[in-house]
Parts: sequence; C-alpha cells; structure tokens
Amino acid sequence: MLCVDQNAWFLGSLMGVKNHLRANCWLLFLTLFVCSVVYAGGVWAIAQTLFSDKAQGSLVDKNGQSARSDKGAVGSRLFAQSCLDGDGNVMEEYFQPRPSAASYDGTASGATNWGPSNPALRKRVMAMLGPNLKYSNGRPIGPDIVHWVRERLQHDRAVLAQWVKDDTGLPERWASIKTIADFLAQWANDHPDDVARWHRDHADADKPKPADLAALFFDSYAKGESTVWPATHGYDIQTAFFEIWWHAHPQAHFEAVPADMVMSSGSGLDPHITLENAVYQLDRVAGKWAEKLNAPREQMAREIRALVETKKEAPLGRLAGVELINVLELNVALTARMHVLAPH
Amino acid sequence: MAVVGLWVPPLAVVFVAVVLSIPVGRYLAAVLDGTLRVPRWLHWIERRVDTGSQNWKQYAASMLLFFGFTSAVGFGVLALQPHHPSFLNPDGKGALAPSTLFHTTLSMATNSEQQHYAGEVHLSYGSQLFVVLWTYFVSPAPGLAALAAVIRGLRGDSHLGNFYVDVWRTIVFIFIPFSVVLAIPLAAAGVPMTMDGAAGLQTLAGGTQTIARGPVAAVEAIKQLATAGGGYFGTNSCHPYENPNAWTNALELMLILLLPFAQVLAFGRMLRQKRHAVVLFAVMLVVLLASLGWCVYFDAVCPNPALLGDEKAGLSALPVDQSGWGNLEGKELRFGPGAGPAWAALTTSTANGSNNCMHDSLNPLAILGLLSSIWMNCNFGAVGSGMLTMLMYVILAVFIAGMMIGRTPEYLSRKLGPREMKLAMLALLVHPILILAPAGAAVALGWDAGSANPPGAHAFTEVVYEFSSASSNNGSGLEGLGDTYGFANNPDPAPYAVHWDVSCGVIVTLGRFLPIILMLALAGGLATKLPHPAGPGTLPTDSLTFGVALLGTMLLTGLLLFFPAAALGPLVEHLGPTAFVK
Repeated sequence: MLCVDQNAWFLGSLMGVKNHLRANCWLLFLTLFVCSVVYAGGVWAIAQTLFSDKAQGSLVDKNGQSARSDKGAVGSRLFAQSCLDGDGNVMEEYFQPRPSAASYDGTASGATNWGPSNPALRKRVMAMLGPNLKYSNGRPIGPDIVHWVRERLQHDRAVLAQWVKDDTGLPERWASIKTIADFLAQWANDHPDDVARWHRDHADADKPKPADLAALFFDSYAKGESTVWPATHGYDIQTAFFEIWWHAHPQAHFEAVPADMVMSSGSGLDPHITLENAVYQLDRVAGKWAEKLNAPREQMAREIRALVETKKEAPLGRLAGVELINVLELNVALTARMHVLAPH
Repeated sequence: MAVVGLWVPPLAVVFVAVVLSIPVGRYLAAVLDGTLRVPRWLHWIERRVDTGSQNWKQYAASMLLFFGFTSAVGFGVLALQPHHPSFLNPDGKGALAPSTLFHTTLSMATNSEQQHYAGEVHLSYGSQLFVVLWTYFVSPAPGLAALAAVIRGLRGDSHLGNFYVDVWRTIVFIFIPFSVVLAIPLAAAGVPMTMDGAAGLQTLAGGTQTIARGPVAAVEAIKQLATAGGGYFGTNSCHPYENPNAWTNALELMLILLLPFAQVLAFGRMLRQKRHAVVLFAVMLVVLLASLGWCVYFDAVCPNPALLGDEKAGLSALPVDQSGWGNLEGKELRFGPGAGPAWAALTTSTANGSNNCMHDSLNPLAILGLLSSIWMNCNFGAVGSGMLTMLMYVILAVFIAGMMIGRTPEYLSRKLGPREMKLAMLALLVHPILILAPAGAAVALGWDAGSANPPGAHAFTEVVYEFSSASSNNGSGLEGLGDTYGFANNPDPAPYAVHWDVSCGVIVTLGRFLPIILMLALAGGLATKLPHPAGPGTLPTDSLTFGVALLGTMLLTGLLLFFPAAALGPLVEHLGPTAFVK
C-alpha cells in the first residue's frame, strides 16, 4: 500500500515536471516568434514602407537631398563627420563639429567618460583653445602664439627645456598631431643615437611612443644640436603651446568660446553645434573662402551669415530656449553656395 | 528663457506620464486579473502555457526555471554568433569572449541590461533580435508577474495564480501593443529599421565614414517601455540613431516612466486600496522629483568645475562660456539644456538604465543623486520589482510606526508577525550586502586602479556605481570603468574585464531573484492569515502621516546605509582637493 502511494507521488511530480517543461517550451517558442519575428518584422515592414529614407539611416547626398543608398551619399543628417584634411589639419573652409572622443567613427560611438576631476579634461580644453580662441576685439590669438613661440625659440633654444618642466604634458600634446607624429617618426630614423639613448634609459619598453620621441626631440632641440623645427602652418604650436603662451600673457582679454566648441559629446557623433559656436567660427570660414574665391572678406561673411540664419533649428519648438545648427547640412549648403559664387 | 528650457520639458514629461498612468494602470490591472476580453484563439494559446494554480514556492520555482531556459537560449544564440546566417549578420561579427557571453546573458535575462560590450561593435543583427530584443520582452515580464502574485497573496486569494500565464499576458497584452504603437513614431523621426549592413560613405571633406545601423526602432521602443534600458549602440540613447531629436527624447523619457508609474495604480486597483496606492505614488513622486531637481541643478545650472579658476592652486578660469548649458562634457545638444541630468535622474529612479548623456562626466553631486536613486531602488523602480521593493519599505514603515504607537503592526488587515519582519529585513539587506561587500573587496584587490583612469575618489565612485547598478538591475554605468572583453580574439581586453563580467553576472542574478522570492514568501504567508477588521488601534496606511513615516523609513533605512560610500566617492570628489590642481 505504502509502495503504491509513493509511486503515485512520484508519477505525480514527474507529470508536474513534464507540465513545467512543456509550458516553458511553449512560452519560449511563442515569445521568440511573436517578439523577434512578428513584432520586429512588422515594424521593419511599416518603417521601410512609410519612412524608407529614415529607416535606412537618414543619408544625404552632396546636394542635401535624401539618399536611399550609401552610393553618392556624403553622410547622415544625424551624424557629425570629421572635417579634417588627410594630414589631420582643420579644414578652415568648413564649420567644425564638436570634438569627438570617437573620432566621428560611425561604427564605434563613444565618449571620454572623463569626470571633472580628471586632469585630462582641462588639458584637452586648453589644447583646443589655442587654435580657436579670439581676443575680445575678435582677432584670433593663434597667429600670436605661433609668432611668440618661434621668436622665443630663435632667441634662446634652452627655454624649451624650461617649458617642458613647467608643462609636463607638452611633448604628448604636440605629438598627438598627425603631421608632427609623422615628422617625429622620420626624425627618429635620422637620429638613431637619440633613440638608442632612450632605449638605454627604458630597458623594459619595446618602442618609443610619439610622445617619447617628442620629448627626445625637445631635449635635442633645447641643447641647440643640429635639430630643425618642422615647417608647419602653426596648428601644432597653437595646440601644444597655448598654456605656455597664456602664462606669459596673463593680461590678454578674450572672447570666451561657447562651451560646446571644446566639450566633447556623449555619442562622439553629435551632429549639432550651437548658433553661438557657428557665429564664433564664421570669421575663420569666411576668411578661407575669401582667399579661395579671391572675393572680399566682408561679402563672404555676409553670405555665410545669411546661410547660417537659414539653417537655425530650435529644439522642442523653441521651448528648450536654444538655437542649434546641423553642421553637415550647413557645410553641404555652404559648399553648394560657394560653388555658385565661384568665378568659372 | 533659459530657466524655462531647463525645467519645463522634464516636468512636462513627468506630468504627461502621471496622467497617462491612470488609464494604463487600469489596463494593467485588467490584464493581470484576467478580466480583459480577448479573442478565443488567444485563450487556446494561454491553455498551452497554463500549468494550474500555484502557491508561492511553485510560483518562485517556475520563475527560476523560466530564467534558466531564457538564459540557455540567450547564451546559445550569442555563442553561435559567428554562425548566424549572413542576412542576420551582414557585418560579419565574430565570436564573443566567454566572460562577455556569461555577463551579457545573465544581465539580459535578469532585466538589468548592464552592458560590458558595445552593440554596434560586438553584436550581429541576429543577436540583437533574438537575444537583446527578445529578452527585453521576457525578462521584465516576470517582475510584473511576481507583483501580480504578491498582490493576490496580500488580498488573500486561495492561490497566487500561474507564473507562465502571467508572463504570457504581460508580453502579449501590454508589451507588444504598446511597443508597436511607440516604434512607429520613433521610426518616423529617424530611428533606423533596416537589415542592410553598415553604410560606407565618402564624406564632404574627402575622407570616409562607415555608419553602423540595423533594426533599431523595434528595439528602442521596448527598451524604454519595459525598463530594460540596454542600448542598441554603445552610447545608448546619446546615439543619434537611438534618439534623433528633442521630441524622441521626450517621448522615450515618458516611456521610461509610464509602466513604473502605472504599476502603482494597478496595485491599488487590484487590491481595492486606491487611497493607499495614491499615498505610495505621492511618496515615490516626491523622491523622484527631488532627484530630478537635484541632478539638473548640480549639472546644468552649475558649470563643469574643471574649467573654473582656483585661486589656491593659482589656476585661472578658462575663457569658456558655460552659461545656459552647464556641464556639456558627454552631452548631446539636440535634446536641449538640462536634458542629460534630467534623463539620468529618471532612468536611475526607474531602474531603466538607459542614458542620453554619459553619467561618468556628470558633476560629482549629480552622480551622488543618481546613486541615491539606485540605492533606494523604489522611487517607482523597475516594472514589477520596483513596486515589490516599495512594499518591503511599506512593511518596515508599518512595523516601525506600529512600535512607536505601541500596537501590533498590521498591513491590509493582516497582522505582521516575526516571519514577515524577518523576510522584509532580509530583503532590505540583500541590496547593501551585494553592493558594499563586493565594492570593498574590489577596491582592496586593486580592481579600481587597474580599470579606472585616473585612480582616486572618482574611480571609487565608478566601482560603487558598477555594483549598485548590477545589484538593483539598473544597468546604467560610469563607462570610464574598463570592463569590456568583447570578441574572443581581442588582443587587448580591459585588464579586469573577466573580473567585472563574472562578479557582476553573479550579482545581477542574486539582486534580481532574492528580493522577489523573499517578497513572494512574505505574500504567500500573509495570504493564509485571517484578516482582522480595522480597529481604533489600526494605523491607517492611506493617510499623509503614513506617507511621511514611509518617506522617513526609505531615507533612514534605505539610504543611510550607503552614506560612508557616498562620502568616500562623490562627496570627496566634489569637495576636493580637486585632482585637476596638478
């Protein structure tokens, strides 16, 4: 009798387990089918039918029209893209987007994730100020930095050693510019003695990084050896030496840059800049086009300013209280407009 | 104007969510009570998954069994990623590392959606659709199901219902229809929905840009709705394809709040205790709004201190105009000023965990606000489990208040005995143990120095945040912490990636199921007790007094436990000496 009872209990619990397994299998199968196939497929069909351009990623061609496929597209209206030339220099004829920790890589979005207490943040902002900041009278400070640094170095090369001591991040910042990194690689080839000396001091490291090479170069330059400063447009000096220059010119009055010009975005792909940022960049852009088209600078500035006005957007129908500019759309419109103005 | 732009949009979103939660709460109650009229063929399907009435042990066992099956399927699909057919893997994503598989599977199956990978880098469309999208439906549903079961226990039903039926109803009648309705406007605004691989372009400046895309709109809707929160892309809702403009930002933010709000009203309706539910709702809303105000003030009104001057250190203020926007590092412009910290406050309150700014770059006091919400885990909280956490605080508050007025504590006409109080206290302690113990161990073992840059108070905050997010199944993170292994053949994984993957994988699982099971046990026990009619000594749970007592309990028992951690992390970082003074 007892034996039968135990059997019944055993069979009963076995049935229970079977029921549970069956219910789980049904639930897994049904939810996978309903959620991942029916729901996703339905949304795909609706989006592809009704909003096909947007479903494909809001691509635009060089006329600013929506592009269905990536052939002929110059970008996505929702993405910032790099406006640097092949050597990594700022292309002055374009409005520049916000700085990007992801280098505007559309396949790997990313941010700095630097907190306010991270020294790298303040350093990066200072490096960006050199090439971008203006005096309160509207004149850019960049040329003055280049002039001052070159003059000081001509006068007394040894001052460079003092600067590196004052601002330890100097070599690394300077080497972070692509043209300089290329120059340093070449310089290392031509100066095997210096590299060998570095290897003696750093027995466990396998190869000097650009920042190490920059430190070597500075060392060699400061000693007055036969080292020559690379010929550049000065962007490297503006970026790397702003801190040193500012320290020597504490009385200078500046027109503060809008924060979005120097603070990097969350996705690294933020397509917008503020209106204030666009206006701050206007002089530089107009100057470059005036030079390219051989036209009066004031006329260019007026043309471009009018273009900026047509591209203003206000999030939430002005409720957010700010005005933004989509950089790619502005640059596309700018290129088209300048093409019209260009003498054929 | 600047003031309006900062405060009106988030408050309007909260207001709309409150209004919409009234009908949605009614609908939720109808679905979970089974009073919704549905076509007959759906009943047929329901009978396939129905295993009959369950007591709390059977209900909890079913939940764990389903979790096991979900994890197995998720793990299998992710592990087979290199073998996905090419239309599900157009960009040819390779094999994931074992620890990434372990952490991702558990994190997805527990409704945490903590991500140690970046979607557009590491996952194929097959993994996005059959693991990520799928678990966004099936992993929050058990939370709501468990809430329904607990409510049945509290109202003295003869059984707690059937787990599988509750999950099925939640998915089919709540998640699917809402997601369909919400995915369409997102797609219309520019969230992509394509099976084509990445787009390769020639840029205006003559360079190239490759743009990852995929079936984003479908994932985005359920991600926000079901308090899932894991991004399709690495940077989550910062990414222009996940959140193309300020309107989608407002819509997504409203979705984050909708079901967490509605669950409280559904609770009141199912229990026929509407006034009690309104008191709970009000208490949660007060904390939520306080968190919102705190975070927006300290991050959007206050500037980023790194750019300011410091006389003692001889630093001048940098010529950068931060007015109107506050701290802009890690923020997107298109959502408007203050949208980042506002979203951050609401997503941590509701255990959603998605982000539209990088939390790691927020000002330290704003991060403290986020941590406080995660630690309390009940200013609405996740769908289902947030309300369960709140019930735990309610029972503690009833007990403490009962002791203070010298009466036997009772809740909903049932006396609370030693068993109930033990279970509630255990549920309360799960969270601090799962956060503080591993955080202490990780710092002692040097995980912070090996993962964070630079070490110091901020690195400590990152470690505490990581475990807090895991334990509360929030999923947001301070992403400066190096925790990504990624592909199996990654030559240069983060040094402590495996440590973070394994520890957080275990913590998300314990943090998910221990409190739910304890609350199911509590409700199962209360269901068998005879109700007592309310007498003159009964503490009314639908009064303002009770609301204040509850608020005090939440702050004193939920938050104070974490004060030392807060003091060592964000408070130290805020007060300095700041590290940017060389």
